[in-house]
Amino acid sequence: MATVLIENLTKVYPPTLNNPTQVQALGGLSMSITGNVFVAVVGPSGSGKTTLLNIVAGVERATAGSVRALQEGVPARVGYVFQEPRLLPWRTVVDNMLYVQDRKSDRSRREAEFYLQMVGLSDVADLYPSQLSGGMQQRVGIARAFLVNPDVLLLDEPFSHLDALTGRSLRDYMQRIWLQTRKTALFVTHDVTEAVELADRIVMLRPGGTAYDDIAVDLPRPRRHDDPAVRDMQDEVLRRFDAMGAAVRFGAHA
Amino acid sequence: MSAAVPSAPEATSAHSVRELRRAVRRRWGFRLSVLLGWAAFVGVWYVVSLYLLTPQQLPQPHVVATEAGELLSQRDFGRNFQASILRVVAGFLLALLASVGLGLLIAYNRWWRRFLVNTLLFLVSVPTVSFAILSLLVLGVSPMGPILNAMIVTTPYITMNLAQGLTGVDRRLIVMSEAFGRTRAQMITGILVPASLLSVLGGTRLAFAVAWRVGLLTEVFASADGIGLQIRRSFESYDIRGMLAWALLFIVIMLLIENLVFRQLERLLSRWRSPDGGAAP
Amino acid sequence: MSDMRAREDLAGLRSLGARSGPKAPPTMRGFLQRPWFIGLLALGLLLLVWQWISWVNLQVPGVGEIARFMFTEISGGSHGGALSGEFWAPLAVSLQRYAVGLAIGVPVGAVLGMVIGGVRWARGLFNDTVLVLLALPAVVWAFLASLWFGLSSWGPILAVVLTVVPFMAVNISAGVRNVDPGLAEMSRSFGVPFGRRLHHLLFGGSLPSAFTGLRLSFMTGWNSLLIVEWFGSTSGVGWRARFWYDALRYPGFVGWIFLFVILITLLDRLLLSPLERRAFQWNQRPTLAFAEEA
Repeated sequence: MATVLIENLTKVYPPTLNNPTQVQALGGLSMSITGNVFVAVVGPSGSGKTTLLNIVAGVERATAGSVRALQEGVPARVGYVFQEPRLLPWRTVVDNMLYVQDRKSDRSRREAEFYLQMVGLSDVADLYPSQLSGGMQQRVGIARAFLVNPDVLLLDEPFSHLDALTGRSLRDYMQRIWLQTRKTALFVTHDVTEAVELADRIVMLRPGGTAYDDIAVDLPRPRRHDDPAVRDMQDEVLRRFDAMGAAVRFGAHA
Repeated sequence: MSAAVPSAPEATSAHSVRELRRAVRRRWGFRLSVLLGWAAFVGVWYVVSLYLLTPQQLPQPHVVATEAGELLSQRDFGRNFQASILRVVAGFLLALLASVGLGLLIAYNRWWRRFLVNTLLFLVSVPTVSFAILSLLVLGVSPMGPILNAMIVTTPYITMNLAQGLTGVDRRLIVMSEAFGRTRAQMITGILVPASLLSVLGGTRLAFAVAWRVGLLTEVFASADGIGLQIRRSFESYDIRGMLAWALLFIVIMLLIENLVFRQLERLLSRWRSPDGGAAP
Repeated sequence: MSDMRAREDLAGLRSLGARSGPKAPPTMRGFLQRPWFIGLLALGLLLLVWQWISWVNLQVPGVGEIARFMFTEISGGSHGGALSGEFWAPLAVSLQRYAVGLAIGVPVGAVLGMVIGGVRWARGLFNDTVLVLLALPAVVWAFLASLWFGLSSWGPILAVVLTVVPFMAVNISAGVRNVDPGLAEMSRSFGVPFGRRLHHLLFGGSLPSAFTGLRLSFMTGWNSLLIVEWFGSTSGVGWRARFWYDALRYPGFVGWIFLFVILITLLDRLLLSPLERRAFQWNQRPTLAFAEEA
């Protein structure tokens, strides 16, 4: 069982030439995730969402505070789905999948094909990314993240670059695969509606990167986007989100 | 995967047939104009040769073609051709070797970038004839002249492409690799090498054309054999026919190598770039 | 050879130079980064290498020897015997030929390039011819021109014209073809008349590659001129270098070859770069950044 413990996490970017003032992306964020839950982190842009994932993935260092992602006491294996597909353009789809695999064998190829099939892409293994549509590329990205058999799944707005219909179908794929695998998932988005569709729990960040609210989403799965219960919950979360916006605007976030 | 083509109603189909016909007509029209262009080229050549100048000053196309055919059948041609091409290839390989070092310095060190970029830019602007003449003085009549000059002149181009390939690597792919725990070696073979290799290959066609011409020029000044020397010999004996025949062979070989070797290589290595995976010609 | 590539390569090389970051602070490190210091260092290294070659190969004159000889040559002093220095006369002759050649070749090539780039059937008609002319080595043009015109000035001029035309044509046609089709559609939708479209859209859009064509033309034209003058002329800078070579006075020969390089570099810095800077005021082009830095 995987746990992610985030304690007093702070990240400050030093001033650069383009941006002469320093930027605080995370300002002492604390939260903990235990077990096979799907946690969404929502917040306006500038609330350090991507930074949070990068630190959990070990790609960036925290300025202060700590993040521990553990699986049975040892560092957890991470699968990351980025905002853009981030596929090596000069490698075929299957080679892109195998790029993140440690062992290269017939078995890992079969595994890659299995996950491709799970995202509905069984016959594109030998094509190049440029031959796929944006949505298909993103599905390869999702399959790649599951292929490494991650203990913690990190999702950085994976649907935000897609058109509405493609995004919806990809969320359905995501929900289906997640129900089969039940990985601990940390899903970052600015879109409250997709957070409600996918998550068991929604953590709201305010600008400056601190937690504002923590909402449990107790809805049965699989969820449908047009289910009235989902709609109601979306409205409720949106209301709270707006309330935070007002609070931030009127300077009540000290 | 891709959406099925909806069955077109009658009107659309008639329309598309018209469009198709127009496209076919346009394509054949273009081919016709290319043919006409070649005919005009040869025609103008005849006119200049017969009326503006004399056939001694500018031999007619068929005379030059026959001469070139005769040259091809002689052993002399093989020997000179081999000498020229081997020098160019040698210079080219040396340039490639030098470029790896220089390209890495440019990509990863700021001071060296400033220094080398300025120096290489200067090198590009030096008239190639200067190198050719100087090699006559410094190296005398030797095969080293063409080799060295081909190297000097192509190094800036190859280095530049390599450095751009290295600096142009998508940072986000590196982050992705780190997130998935790839090692440094895996990142180098998976991202850096393909990116820079492709970038270098993109520039080799041009670099080859430049090397081929500089090699020739150096042979004109300082060589005991090679196509360049043959052109110079023809010039010195007022044999314009022979000179043009050698020049014709030179151009044909250059275009053949460019199109058969480099373009194919480029296509093979950049299959991923085209939306059809390089299936179409 | 693909001159679009050449354009990109040159621009790329320049942009790499420009990407070297902000102006360095006036520290020791900053001093080492100053463009003039780097240029001086490169020049010093070059001279050092040359000096070393002259020690290894006794035929090759040293830097000091060359400088002394060229001083006599430029100041018109005596080289011993009946030979006296000549500098301005050959220079004037060559520059005149060069200017006339460019004045004919550049506009002709530019118009040809516009037609090839803009008109479909014209592309079919002329494109291959231009490519063949481009592939023909400059030395062949030089030989032909000197055989046709003997020792008159028309040989060098024709050689310059013939090398310049295909270079201009290829670059300009590529530039015209690369004009953003979206902008072309926009112009048509607003009903912009042809003349204005030509001026603002085609001319403006192909300006970057036109400049590359110009730069390459200046370089290759100069090269051809020198070759013709070397092989078939009794005046001009190429002839002067040949003269000292035949007279076995190698300091003069090498000195003139160095002058060839200095002249083309000066031409680029004093004429082309300022022109380019003016033409690209609207755009912080990488080439520009380099020009400012240098």
